[in-house]
Amino acid sequence: MTKRLKGFVSLVLLGALLAGCGSSGSNGGEASAPAGSSDSASAEGGERVSLSIWHNYSGDDLRAQTVRRLISEFQEEHPEVLLDSQPIPTDSYRQRIQTVAAARELPDVFLSYSGSFTDEFQKAGLIQPITELLDGNQEWTDGFLPGAYDIFTYDGEVYSVPVAMSATSFLFYNKELFEQNGLAVPKTWDELLAAIEAFKAKGVTPIAMGNQAPWVAQSTMFGVMADRLTGTEWFMNAKDGSGASFTDPIFVEALGYFKQLSDAGAFQEGANSLDNTQAEQYFIQGNAAMIMNGAWSISNWAASASEEALQKVGVAVFPTLPNGKGEANTITGGPGGGFVLNAEAEGRKRELAMELIYKLSSAEAQKAVAESNSMVMYDVDIDASKVTPLFNDAFGLVKTLSFSPVYDLYLSAAGGEAVNNGLQELMLGGDPAAVAEKIQAAQAGSAQ
Amino acid sequence: MTNAGRLRAFIFACLAPTLIVYGLFAVVPIAWSAYYGFFDWSGIGDPKFAGWANYAAVVQEPLFWRALKNNIIIVGASIFGQLPIALLLAILLNRNSWFGRAIRSAVFMPMVLSTVVVALIWKYIYHPQIGVLNYVLKAIGLESWAMPWLSDPAINMYAVSIPVIWANIGPYLIIFISAIQNLPSEVDEAARLDGATGAKKLVLVTLPMIWNTIKVTVIMCIAGSLKAFDLVFVMTHGGPAHTTELLATYMYNSTFAVYRYGYGSAISTMIVLVSAVLILLSQLLMTRKSQ
Repeated sequence: MTKRLKGFVSLVLLGALLAGCGSSGSNGGEASAPAGSSDSASAEGGERVSLSIWHNYSGDDLRAQTVRRLISEFQEEHPEVLLDSQPIPTDSYRQRIQTVAAARELPDVFLSYSGSFTDEFQKAGLIQPITELLDGNQEWTDGFLPGAYDIFTYDGEVYSVPVAMSATSFLFYNKELFEQNGLAVPKTWDELLAAIEAFKAKGVTPIAMGNQAPWVAQSTMFGVMADRLTGTEWFMNAKDGSGASFTDPIFVEALGYFKQLSDAGAFQEGANSLDNTQAEQYFIQGNAAMIMNGAWSISNWAASASEEALQKVGVAVFPTLPNGKGEANTITGGPGGGFVLNAEAEGRKRELAMELIYKLSSAEAQKAVAESNSMVMYDVDIDASKVTPLFNDAFGLVKTLSFSPVYDLYLSAAGGEAVNNGLQELMLGGDPAAVAEKIQAAQAGSAQ
Repeated sequence: MTNAGRLRAFIFACLAPTLIVYGLFAVVPIAWSAYYGFFDWSGIGDPKFAGWANYAAVVQEPLFWRALKNNIIIVGASIFGQLPIALLLAILLNRNSWFGRAIRSAVFMPMVLSTVVVALIWKYIYHPQIGVLNYVLKAIGLESWAMPWLSDPAINMYAVSIPVIWANIGPYLIIFISAIQNLPSEVDEAARLDGATGAKKLVLVTLPMIWNTIKVTVIMCIAGSLKAFDLVFVMTHGGPAHTTELLATYMYNSTFAVYRYGYGSAISTMIVLVSAVLILLSQLLMTRKSQ
């Protein structure tokens, strides 16, 4: 009797467990769609399909608003879709995605940064190509700037198209301060050092820098600086460990240049304990003569600074270095993020996901994003009255430049972190050769 | 069943829920984490078994030792900063006056604030350009003392210790006050009759009688400071160039910034070991002292 009872109990438990699994499964799948209605819905042309999308357009800036508007438009056009859109703040975006990837619970469509981030997903087989989307829309495909989606192309298959242009190292300068001191915008290293001396003598911070989150110095300044000296090819070889190494004298010299800037007192005191936003504010309020920052600063200033302050800002690129092997007219950046498609999406879900990706990267979408003061890798005619003059200047400038790699988009996570911390170390008086050793060890150790 | 056996079973039944919850949410994760320490995993793809490699790498990594050293500074600042101040305040504020209550609430205040708020407040106090601290120093003519408190590696560990001390005095103060108020008044009277007053009474009577409480607070202090993370993470992220890295921030950065999950797990296991060793040591030292 007891045995039988036990058997019965375990059966009931098993049943409950199974039911539990079943219901959680349908939650993840078709959610609230009642069983009966799916028939009638399919009669009208399609079953209810759930679709999830993750992105980092969570802020209140114009671009984020534009992209969120596009997503809700898609929802309106497709009432049969149960769309779950999750905006996640940029600072934690990469971690969140990495965590769900570890748990194999990636959303159907998500924003992926170009470079090593997308590489990893592609290598692990977590995303699938969207080549057919491009082949089916030749006119749209032709609108992209040259090389726009090369970085998303693996073995001839395209996995994403960029929805943004990243340009991370503009040299913004305060026209008024330069005029008052009779200085021209530096075009060479010596002119830069002379300008730094002159501003320091006047008690003006030469270059504003907020490097507490240590990617700032690397992404906005060091990358382009090193590229002037080493050229892009050297960097690509060094990161792959093929024929070049970060311990090469030329790279140690590049680190030395950065240290020289810091030693010359180019940055304000305590630069390593300030946020990038604080540095942006410090500059726009006229406390510093220059700041190096990405295109994002323009939309931040457009939202927060007065028109008068904005008019004082000019935009240029980093000066040349003596005996530099790299090109003079480059800026670090290139295709920014793009939306990628989960490898597990199939059938109707896959079709709809493709449509959503198209919706967010179409010619109209690119135009709308550009008109929210944000650069795109697409040939667009922007209505000049919709953007700030500074954006126009910067976007105009970028079109005359070529791109060089942003270090942390190409290095492994460990290698990038070693560069970031190494630059802080140099600002604290560290030794370039020792920093170079650490960078090489971290990059080689994680690239294997 | 004998009576004693029944009693034991009853005690066990009462403890069981707590033990199960504790085991499930404390012991099992620690064991899992130790186990994960044997794998190489970047979060994407399959974990690779790596043997002792992660543990060996942790021990050989100079950064780990620097983080440990910084952590010991925090532990020291907590034990020799928080506890004496809390004890002193407890003795001074023992009487239930209006003034005593006001000061007690003020000292307890930071505990009620979110740590992130406390950290941001201090970040602004230490701000190199607009910080209150530098402003005050300049105003009273100590211009040469003004400095970038959080980014100068010679002082930033001490600079971050001060908010840690400041924010955590509250609970120890409460514990000490209740310990002192629980002392039997007969002893107090007897001490007074024998002529022990002031400092003499404190050292010869009060302290020995609350010695067990002090021992417990030292354990809490060590365990708490080895876990220290939030305040320092918000103020400095462990930077610049790892100069304020603590064990917990180092573990976080290795796991979630560099994506070495196995290595991060190995660091967590080391944190558990270090805590156990330090707590044992402190208890040994204090037992001898009390005998």
